[in-house]
Amino acid sequence: MMPPQLKIAALVSVGRNPASGAPRAARNDVLALDAALALAPEVSVLHAGDAAPALYDYLAYGAANVEVLPLPAGADALAPLAARVAGYDLILCGQRAEAGQGSGTLPYRLAKALNMPVVSAALEITLLGDEAEIVQFLPKGQRRVVRVSLPAVIALHPLAPRAPRYVYASLRAGRLLSAPALVAAPLPASPWQSEPAVKKPQRLKPLETRQGHARLLGAIATESKGGALVREGSAAEKARAILDYLRTNRLIEF
Amino acid sequence: MNQERKRLDPRRPFVLSPAGLRRIILGATGGFDASLLAAPAHTPAAKPLRLKGDPAGYLLVAAHSQRGMLDAHAHQAIAAAALLASPQQAVAVLVFGGLNEDLRAYGADLVAVLPGADEQGFAPEQELASLCEFVTRYAPAHVFMPDNDIGDGDLGRRLAVHLEAEVATHVVELKPGAVAMYWQGGAALARGPMPLVVLIAPDVVETGLPFSGAGETVAPPAAQAPPGRYQNRGLREIAASALALEEADFIVAAGNGVADIPTLEAVAAAFGAAVGASRVAVDEGKFTRDKQIGATGKTVSASTYLAVGISGAVQHLQGIKACRHVIAINSDASAPITKRADLSVVGDAQEVMTALLAELAQRNWPDTARESV
Ligand SMILES: Cc1cc2nc3c(=O)[nH]c(=O)nc-3n(C[C@H](O)[C@H](O)[C@H](O)COP(=O)(O)OP(=O)(O)OC[C@H]3O[C@@H](n4cnc5c(N)ncnc54)[C@H](O)[C@@H]3O)c2cc1C
Repeated sequence: MMPPQLKIAALVSVGRNPASGAPRAARNDVLALDAALALAPEVSVLHAGDAAPALYDYLAYGAANVEVLPLPAGADALAPLAARVAGYDLILCGQRAEAGQGSGTLPYRLAKALNMPVVSAALEITLLGDEAEIVQFLPKGQRRVVRVSLPAVIALHPLAPRAPRYVYASLRAGRLLSAPALVAAPLPASPWQSEPAVKKPQRLKPLETRQGHARLLGAIATESKGGALVREGSAAEKARAILDYLRTNRLIEF
Repeated sequence: MNQERKRLDPRRPFVLSPAGLRRIILGATGGFDASLLAAPAHTPAAKPLRLKGDPAGYLLVAAHSQRGMLDAHAHQAIAAAALLASPQQAVAVLVFGGLNEDLRAYGADLVAVLPGADEQGFAPEQELASLCEFVTRYAPAHVFMPDNDIGDGDLGRRLAVHLEAEVATHVVELKPGAVAMYWQGGAALARGPMPLVVLIAPDVVETGLPFSGAGETVAPPAAQAPPGRYQNRGLREIAASALALEEADFIVAAGNGVADIPTLEAVAAAFGAAVGASRVAVDEGKFTRDKQIGATGKTVSASTYLAVGISGAVQHLQGIKACRHVIAINSDASAPITKRADLSVVGDAQEVMTALLAELAQRNWPDTARESV
């Protein structure tokens, strides 16, 4: 078992139902909370912002209480969060928020502010003394195992194989705590203008500078790659041709 | 009246298309031009260089390679830089991992390769040090990276935070000097000036460029980070049969030309591949619906796609657009799949599959090689 003095925090945000737009517990953050609860019975669940009703869902998913760090409108959540989790051994969060900007940079900024290592795309976390072993998601069915020294920030991948349970009784038992206001640095004026996403974004493509004839030629010239064709030979030779192709392109390792 | 009507000249200038058809040149007048015949229309002319003269500034691209190749997403990041660069700006590319392909077609002017650092490795501190040295060397106006899960999205965020620079992630629209990305989980589109670090979403850039890059090889950064807080304990591969088709890296797919399903499954197992199927094979009840690949089935992105007895109807090809290497076994040499495939073997599916199994068994290859956990 893990020594009891390990302090674990889970950062949670208010998510957004992709279909209705209704606020809810962010799926990715629920996974982070669930992973944290699997590592330690006592987890500090923190949210920087307003005490939104959606936060009650985290109580149902197992948080004993959710500590709300008040954040003036337009302020950066980084400073209050970093001040609150200083001294913690492990800070878990979702990889990308569902609402807001969802840029997925918060874990990195937090790690820099606290001078901790950060690992993202975590699927499973195991604690080994003063290290954490993390199974990381890679595409195409690959997983990578990395170890990182504690304290650390770990961001959970949305496909983490966890099955958090929604328990209404624990929603009723838990409560939202509001922490004393901390100084938060105001965000610099944002250069971003947001608009409802109605139009499809335009793909970046080269300007068409060719005229008439050249353009028509371009339109009929198919960039047909049509690869090699093996017609002759026995079945065994054909099989070998396939294996040779696989081997020259390093698609098989034997 | 009749005299004034414009008449078409049956001997207008024309060229012969690759298929031997006469293609008339619009807008040209006069008789048949023999010089046009001399230059066959379908030989691709060498594309002009984009960069004019000595570079006066740089745009940077960094990406991880897999098996010595960059994926389509990384190509798009390079093409984005080339399309957005001014004629005096060079595109410098830093590849983490080996590289055996030519990046000129995507507009790379300078290419540096760090062979030891492919997607297998995990050394964020070392990679960040290399990338920072590269950034210092070229002082780029922007750094473009594909926002992916094989390490570039991670490294790009580390770079932005390390340099305390502005960053745009999951960028879906690029214009000179401006980018757009989704907020609120896709409900809002945020536009703003192009920041230093630009992490590009997949499929937002076209890679068919009318120009080419200089493709000069330059020395990779030599920075060495001290041994750090991260330790790579290696890769773990999941047995392909346990994977969802969308995630599989090697797929053996069966079509109407496959009668013997157990043999096909044995071939798939020998390669450690997942099994897919065409719609006809699924409709016949040989496979469950979740194995269907194509427009009404699954869209897959395996590196290797072995299509056995599949004709290659457009609806099927739609599902395998992202597959890198397509190999076809088909008794019909003119089936549409042969145009898509990188290697087509003309022959009976059953015979070739049996020969493949025999060949694999004969070499005594460990057929669990890919499944080792
Ligand atoms: C709206 C719509 C949606 C569709 N969506 C999909 C989809 O999502 N996915 C999909 O796959 N299809 C889809 N289809 C069907 C698609 O058009 C084709 O009919 C289907 O893909 C053909 O499957 P096939 O290649 O297995 O069969 P066939 O077209 O019958 O081709 C069989 C091939 O096997 C070869 N062959 C035969 N015997 C042998 C042998 N002994 N050895 C070797 N080769 C042999 C033949 O030469 C032929 O090329 C859709 C069609 C429509 C209209």
